Amino acid sequence: MDYSHPELAERLAAEYVAGSLRGPARRRFEALLPAHPVMRQAVREWQTRLMPLTVSVEPQAPPAAVWDRIEASIGGGSLAARPAPAAPSWWQRLALWRGLAAFATVAAVSLGVLLARPQPAQPPIVVVLNATGATADGAVVPATFVASISGDGRSMVTRPIARVSLQASRALELWAVPAQGAPRSLGLVSAQSATVVRGERMLDNADALAVSLEPPGGSPTGAPTGPVLWAGKLGT
Amino acid sequence: MSLPPSRDWSERSRELSHLLARAGMGDRAAFAALYAKSSAHLFAVVLRICHDRAHAEDVLQEVYVNVWRAASGFDAAQSQPLTWLTSIARNRAIDSLRRAQTQPRLQSANAADDEDPDVYEQTADDRPGPLELLARAADARALAQCMDTLTGPQRSSVALAFYDGLSHSEVAEHLGQPIGTVKSWVRRGLLALKRCLDEAVQRDAAAPARG
Repeated sequence: MDYSHPELAERLAAEYVAGSLRGPARRRFEALLPAHPVMRQAVREWQTRLMPLTVSVEPQAPPAAVWDRIEASIGGGSLAARPAPAAPSWWQRLALWRGLAAFATVAAVSLGVLLARPQPAQPPIVVVLNATGATADGAVVPATFVASISGDGRSMVTRPIARVSLQASRALELWAVPAQGAPRSLGLVSAQSATVVRGERMLDNADALAVSLEPPGGSPTGAPTGPVLWAGKLGT
Repeated sequence: MSLPPSRDWSERSRELSHLLARAGMGDRAAFAALYAKSSAHLFAVVLRICHDRAHAEDVLQEVYVNVWRAASGFDAAQSQPLTWLTSIARNRAIDSLRRAQTQPRLQSANAADDEDPDVYEQTADDRPGPLELLARAADARALAQCMDTLTGPQRSSVALAFYDGLSHSEVAEHLGQPIGTVKSWVRRGLLALKRCLDEAVQRDAAAPARG
């Protein structure tokens, strides 16, 4: 297909902005945008046309907690690292890491408290995913991922400790790895920033988390297709 | 149901452009003000697409974290702030549906009634249906006449896709029509919208700017 063709670019842009272009077609279109100025221009024009139609959606104030989480994610001042109790080396790295997501911080502080106290009912868990040594197309990826899991196991925040360089044509997918059987996908995670993952019984039977390198929309097969770049054991 | 204020999109955007520019320079107070002024709109847009509140809150968080990072790259010459923000929010919301698809999706209990689009307009909750929103948007922007250039089915399909984030096949399911028919309704509906919206933009541009 000749994506520079104005009529095709126009039609795809219209459906992309209207939202009806979905699935692989949407991902393909997004992947093509950076290289196709005609399409980018068509998208901008459609956004200009259609976005004002949202004026009729009744405004809804989000709960205050959302702003707190945003502020924490962008490295707000109040979240500077605090001295942590004596701890293993990964822990020190974690504590020193600036710009830690609010949730991760809460989880980390709670864990610090945990070290000195009897265990409460639902402790949060912090899992460190270390580089497996596998490389992506020759690129070395030494950074480490941290996953902070809520006490009830229904939400998790993943975050790379250092910036991960990733080709635009690849994505990172998170997996729950059971002791036996196939890994289950928990969705795509960002190589640059925090990703919130939510779900019921996400970690049932899982004893490790892993991050694999996948094509843009994630594994097409439902199982990891690329190398597993990071992995970490659940539990202590 | 009160209609949103009649203040124009461009006027609201002008208020935001200064805050967005300052946020792009790392001004957290400006970013907080930008959030205060725009988050209720973006949250409402996201909530219609995502349904689940907790999910919509996560999406909204991702949107603003993205906005903070991308603010310095915002080009006021290319688009209006509110257009830019709303586009980011819609894209995130639609992408999040793909992520959530592996989990079972909540549907209205009266599946048998879903074939009638009029019933769809009234089901689920007390929010206005997508057609109602399209009509209100048309009123707010003095587009009522040009909306008449779309046929009823074209309006329904475009409104379901745009406001509620339905895919072609989901629109087809709701309207009880073959997907090919729905695709052509959406395509032709968008073309008709384009004609009338472009005329409206020219009218807006010709009107004296205020503020």
